[in-house]
Amino acid sequence: MKRLPHSWRFITSALILGAMGIAILVQIVRIQASPEVAGVIDQGNYIWKDFYPPRGEIYDRNGNLLAGNMTVYEVGLDITANPDMPTVMLALQMAGFDLNEVNYRISQVPNAQYVILDDFVSASRADQLMALQKVAHGDPTGKNLDAIYFKAHYGRSYPENDLASNILGFVTEDNHGYLGIEEKYDNILAGIPVRMAVPADPRRATEYPTIPPGQTIILTIDRNIQSAVENILDQALKNTGASSGTIIVMDPHSGEILAMSSTPRLNLNEYQSIKTVFPGETPFNRAVSEAYEPGSVAKILTMAGALDSGAVKPETVTFVPESIVVGGFKIYNWDGGAWGYQDMTGCLANSLNVCLAWISDKEMGSASFYSYMQRFGLGHATGIDLAGEVPGRLKLPGDSDWTPVELGTNAFGQGVSVTPIQMVMAASALANDGQMVYPHVLYAQIQDGKQSNTKTQIVGNPISVKTAQTLSDMLANALETESSTALVPGYRIAGKTGTAQIPLPGGGYDQNNVNTSFIGWGPVDDPRFLVYVWLEKPQTNRAASVVVAPIYKQVVEKLVVMLNLPPDAIRLQMIGR
Amino acid sequence: MNNVTHIVRKVRQAPWRAQRQWIGLFLLGLVLMAMVAGIYLNVTVRATLAGRETITLQAMITTNQRVNADLETQLAGLISIESMQKRAEAMGFQPADPTDITFVAVPGYKGQSAVDLSMPIGNHPEVPIILPEYTESWFDYFMNQQVSSALNGVQP
Repeated sequence: MKRLPHSWRFITSALILGAMGIAILVQIVRIQASPEVAGVIDQGNYIWKDFYPPRGEIYDRNGNLLAGNMTVYEVGLDITANPDMPTVMLALQMAGFDLNEVNYRISQVPNAQYVILDDFVSASRADQLMALQKVAHGDPTGKNLDAIYFKAHYGRSYPENDLASNILGFVTEDNHGYLGIEEKYDNILAGIPVRMAVPADPRRATEYPTIPPGQTIILTIDRNIQSAVENILDQALKNTGASSGTIIVMDPHSGEILAMSSTPRLNLNEYQSIKTVFPGETPFNRAVSEAYEPGSVAKILTMAGALDSGAVKPETVTFVPESIVVGGFKIYNWDGGAWGYQDMTGCLANSLNVCLAWISDKEMGSASFYSYMQRFGLGHATGIDLAGEVPGRLKLPGDSDWTPVELGTNAFGQGVSVTPIQMVMAASALANDGQMVYPHVLYAQIQDGKQSNTKTQIVGNPISVKTAQTLSDMLANALETESSTALVPGYRIAGKTGTAQIPLPGGGYDQNNVNTSFIGWGPVDDPRFLVYVWLEKPQTNRAASVVVAPIYKQVVEKLVVMLNLPPDAIRLQMIGR
Repeated sequence: MNNVTHIVRKVRQAPWRAQRQWIGLFLLGLVLMAMVAGIYLNVTVRATLAGRETITLQAMITTNQRVNADLETQLAGLISIESMQKRAEAMGFQPADPTDITFVAVPGYKGQSAVDLSMPIGNHPEVPIILPEYTESWFDYFMNQQVSSALNGVQP
């Protein structure tokens, strides 16, 4: 092809224009990636800022706000306005600011035009400073506070302070949820933050992004029941000298946790004091994070397995001596005495270790016994929607540290560790016609104005309907036979005490302290509540029937009022109409 | 006839006449450009003002939302269980125990159910606040018109 005359001019022009285009592209990339430019953005007129959507609120099942948002302030100083620093410092001191912290912040950004003096300042402190600013405005000597700026934003607030604190957890200043619900549902509560460079000077207008808020959630917790349970637990600790305690109240049909109290509790508005309130390895929520040997409350699971497998019947009678040998070791009754002939209700009513060890070792055998324990979920986390759950430990034949004697001791809750929530979930099978329910604290989520409720989940059927009803009757009869202090007039309830020795880290058991617990449900014919009470190391008495059973009674007396639960006779009359 | 043709050629070729034509054309172009620039400036200013107003309104919405959340939390503090218990005690109430309760059968009453915080029907923010006509390009607008017309089976 023949070139046109002067075509070199076009080629040269194309090359020049192409080179200019490439140069522009290179410059764009250089500006984007240049650390020098990034430094200018970081320290100069622009700052990188995270825009957090308003965090979703948390309500109890009756619509009472448990965690909400409040206005807090970022307080900053415009250096370009040449502020009179002694006046500024005096005002900050009067408003309760930490001057050391303020000086440190100023020294960290020597060339900045705008310095953040403090953040998450409460409205009351900010109001004080604003009032001083107003007074000093227009001072003829120039000693004003006009260079101080206030940027309002959201901060987390807990109107109930420490109520249900062990369930809720808290949110730190970086908008991250820690522990409890705040951690478990952090991703949906927090929403999706947006990060962008904005002018540091608040007078410069900029378009802020529109961010959808975090989802609101409703808990299964009933604020009134939670408060009553916490008060009962606090009083129990005072009365018994126990080192700590836990109470869980659950609806055994749905798995909804109505209340969960654990000590100590934290005022969530002062979460910074967590290390003082929870020294060392203290669990934030013992109900899900502390595994312990449950003791005799676990006998209900052994008896359930034995009845369900046909190993024993309620009317089975056995001679209960003072001890029984299992795996080469002697196991004794709690009082060291022989109890003669006992039926299975008697074994439960008198909490006889020898009887239960006989059942697991002689009547059930290890395969059947451990199969039932696993069906009840022992050794596995329940999956409850709270952060920090631990699985406990159920040693099985074949494990390197399992010994044959544990077939006997496990039958009465020794040598096996569980969390209170595991016991509650396992017992739900007994209270709910053999169906074991998933315990949960999330009742519903609100998204785009629509509420979606959590559905009941059945996690297993470890025993039959008949076994569950039979055992409930046996336990109710046992309480009535022994005239338990757990009984509530007018309401037939089933339950079992537990007094457990505390294993020492180096082996053996603590001779001075015990764990005391009570698990029960009612009304027996149609259970509406399942309550677990655990007191650690009570000092006034070592017997659970003396220490914990009355606490259970107190809880149930509150529950029947708050749940509008009439006495059995009236309720059955109403049903009959 | 020849004379007439000669005169017409003279008039057409007169230099002042050609200049006037060029000046007229230039002025016409200038006026057109000024008109386009004026319209463009007018639209731009209106768009800018609307944009600034939108930003201001968005800021107001954000502030109002924050204030509402703050007030809601303050209200929750005022009606917290601790406050309510204190007020109830101050008014002479005391906690009920099971023996204080008289149960009455009410036909059809199923007891208290948990709260429903769904937004009432009609309050769902399904319709965008800023209509697409304000954000889409001409090309998008025409494409959307074509698509919607095709879907509805009518001529645009």
